[in-house]
Amino acid sequence: MLELTALSKSYAGFEFGPVDLAVGSEVLSVLGPSGSGKTTLLSLIAGTVRPDAGSISLDGRPLDGRSVEERRTGLVFQDGALFPHMTARENVAYGATDPGRVEELAALLEIADLLDRRPPTLSGGERQRVALARTLAADPDALLLDEPLSSLDAPIRRRLRGELRSLFASLDVPVVYVTHDQRTATAVGDRLAVFRDGVVEQVGSPSAVLDRPESRFVARFTGNENLFEATVARRSGGATAVRIGEVALRTTDDDVADGDAVTACIHPSRVRLRDPDDPGAGDPADRAAPHGDNTLPGTVGHWLNEGTEYRVAVDVEGAPLTLTATVRPPTFERLAIDPGTEVRIVVPPASVHLIRGPSG
Amino acid sequence: MLPTRSRTDAAVDRFDWLSVAFLLGAVLLCYYLVPLFSLVAAQPPGAVLDRLRTPVVVSAATTSLTAALASAAVATAFGLPLAYWLARTDGRVETLVTAVVLLPLVLPPIVSGMVLLTVVGPGTLLGGLAAAGGVSLTRSFAGVVLAQTFVASPFVVVTAKAAFEGVDRSLEYASRSLGKSRLATFRRVTLPLAWPGILAGITLAFARAIGEFGATIMLAYYPRTMPVQIWVSFTTLGLENAFPVAVILVGVAVATLIVLDALGTNPLE
Repeated sequence: MLELTALSKSYAGFEFGPVDLAVGSEVLSVLGPSGSGKTTLLSLIAGTVRPDAGSISLDGRPLDGRSVEERRTGLVFQDGALFPHMTARENVAYGATDPGRVEELAALLEIADLLDRRPPTLSGGERQRVALARTLAADPDALLLDEPLSSLDAPIRRRLRGELRSLFASLDVPVVYVTHDQRTATAVGDRLAVFRDGVVEQVGSPSAVLDRPESRFVARFTGNENLFEATVARRSGGATAVRIGEVALRTTDDDVADGDAVTACIHPSRVRLRDPDDPGAGDPADRAAPHGDNTLPGTVGHWLNEGTEYRVAVDVEGAPLTLTATVRPPTFERLAIDPGTEVRIVVPPASVHLIRGPSG
Repeated sequence: MLPTRSRTDAAVDRFDWLSVAFLLGAVLLCYYLVPLFSLVAAQPPGAVLDRLRTPVVVSAATTSLTAALASAAVATAFGLPLAYWLARTDGRVETLVTAVVLLPLVLPPIVSGMVLLTVVGPGTLLGGLAAAGGVSLTRSFAGVVLAQTFVASPFVVVTAKAAFEGVDRSLEYASRSLGKSRLATFRRVTLPLAWPGILAGITLAFARAIGEFGATIMLAYYPRTMPVQIWVSFTTLGLENAFPVAVILVGVAVATLIVLDALGTNPLE
C-alpha cells in the first residue's frame, strides 16, 4: 500500500498539493494536462524531489527523508532512460536482485532476442519493454510510470496498452501510471485520478470518472464536450428534469433541488442518433429504462472522422443547442450523415449527469 | 492561396557568397600555417636532432613533460569533482563559481604568476611553511606544477562540466531508483558516458600546461621548462638557437589535436 498524506511542494509559479492518495495493489492512472503536477507526483514518490510538507509511506514504511536508492520505488521514464553504453541485457541485469530474473523477464516481455543489442538500435516500443524489464528486475515495492507510451506510434501504443494491463494485473504492488492520454488512463487503470493545478480533482473508477465527472474540467478533459448550463425544472415522482434553455431533458440524477443551477453533462458516446422516420427503433434496454428516453429532433451541423468513430455535431431543432455524438461507422453510413441530415437524437435519462453549480 | 515565388534569386546565382567567405577565411588560415611550415622547414632535421641531445634541452623537455602530467593529474583530481558539482547545481551559485573557474583563463599568465607569488612566494606564510618543511614552492618542480595547474585546470573543469551536463539526469535517477548509490551511479553510469569529454578536457589541460610560460617564469625560472628554455636561448643565443625546442612544442600541439579528434569530442569545435 502506497499512502500519500497531505503531500505538498511549491515551486516558483506552481503549487502542488496538498494531495492525499492511497494506492493498494492496483493500478492508479493519473490523468491531467501538462503542468498539472503529474510528474511532480512521481518525483515526490520516487524521491527525486523533496516535498515541503506531508508524508509518504510504502507498505507501512515511511519514505520521508529517504534517498532515491533506499525507496524501492521502480521508476519507468517516458523515453525509457536506458543506459546507452550498456546492452539491453546489461541494462536489465543492472539492478536485478537475482541474475535469473533477466531471462525470466526477457521471456515475459518478449525481448529475449534483443538482449545483446544496445539501446540506440532499439525501436521505441522495444526500449520501453527493456526499461520495464530493467525496473521489474530490481523487484520494486511500487511501480511508477511516467507516460511510458506517449512517444510511441498509435498501433504499438495500443498493443502495449493491452499487454501492460495484464502485466500489471500479475504484479502484487501499487502501480502509479501517469499519462495525459485519457484512453491509456482508462485502459490500464483500475482507478483514475484526474489532476488539475497540482491537486486531485476527482478520483474513482474509470467509468465513474468518465460517466459522472464532478467538475466541468474533468468532463472536458475526459473528452466530454456536451456541457450545458441548466436549471432543475421539475421533480415529481422520482423523475427529475433539467431545462437547458428551451429544451427539457429527463435525468435519473436526482440529488438536486428544484430550481438548482447545474451543469448538464452528456458524454458524446451516450448520445445516439436515429433515423427520424424510424420511431420504433431503439435498444430494448432503453425501452426497459424507468423513464422514457429523451428524444429530440435535430439536424447534423458538421462531422469529423476520428478513425474508429465519427464525432457528429447535431443542432437541436428550435433551440440554440448543439449536441455532440460519437457515431460508429455502420450507423454513420446507415443514416447517411452529412451536414443538413435530419436525425432523431436519443439521450437516455441515465446519461444526463448533473454537475452541481453552473461552472467550475 | 499563398503567392508563389521563384526560389532562385538572380543576384544569389551571380555571386557565390560562400566562396567569398571561404576566401576571406583562407587569408587567416595561411597566416596560421605559413609561419608554422617555415619554422619546421627552416630547421634541418639534423640540427634539430643534435640540439635535442644537448643536456639543457633534455632537461627542459623532461621537466615540461613530467610537470605537465603532474599538473593534468592535479587538475583532474580537484577539477572533476568541481565539474560534477557544477553540472548538478543550478542557479546563481553555479554561475558565480563558473565565473571564478574561468578567471585563470582570461587573466594574463604573467599576472597569474604575480598573483601566485603573493600566496606561495618566499616570505609568504604558505611559502615559508613549505620551505620550513623542506619544499620550495618557487624555483622548484613544485613551483612549475603550481603555475601550470593554475592556468591549465580550468580546461578540465569547463570541459568535464559540459560532459557531465551531457549525461541526462534521468539516467542517474533511473540508476538510483534501481537501488544503486550515488557513488555507484557515478562510477557505472555518469563517468563512462562523460568519459570522452573528460579525457578531452584533460588533454587540453596537458597541452596548455606544457606550453605555459608567463606564470611559470614568474614562479619557477628553474628548473627550466621548454617555453622558458626557448626564451633563454632566444635572449642569449638568438632566434636560430631557440627553434629546435619550438619544433618539439609544435609537435606536442599537433599531437594534442590528433588525440582530441580521436576522442571524437573536441570541445573546441
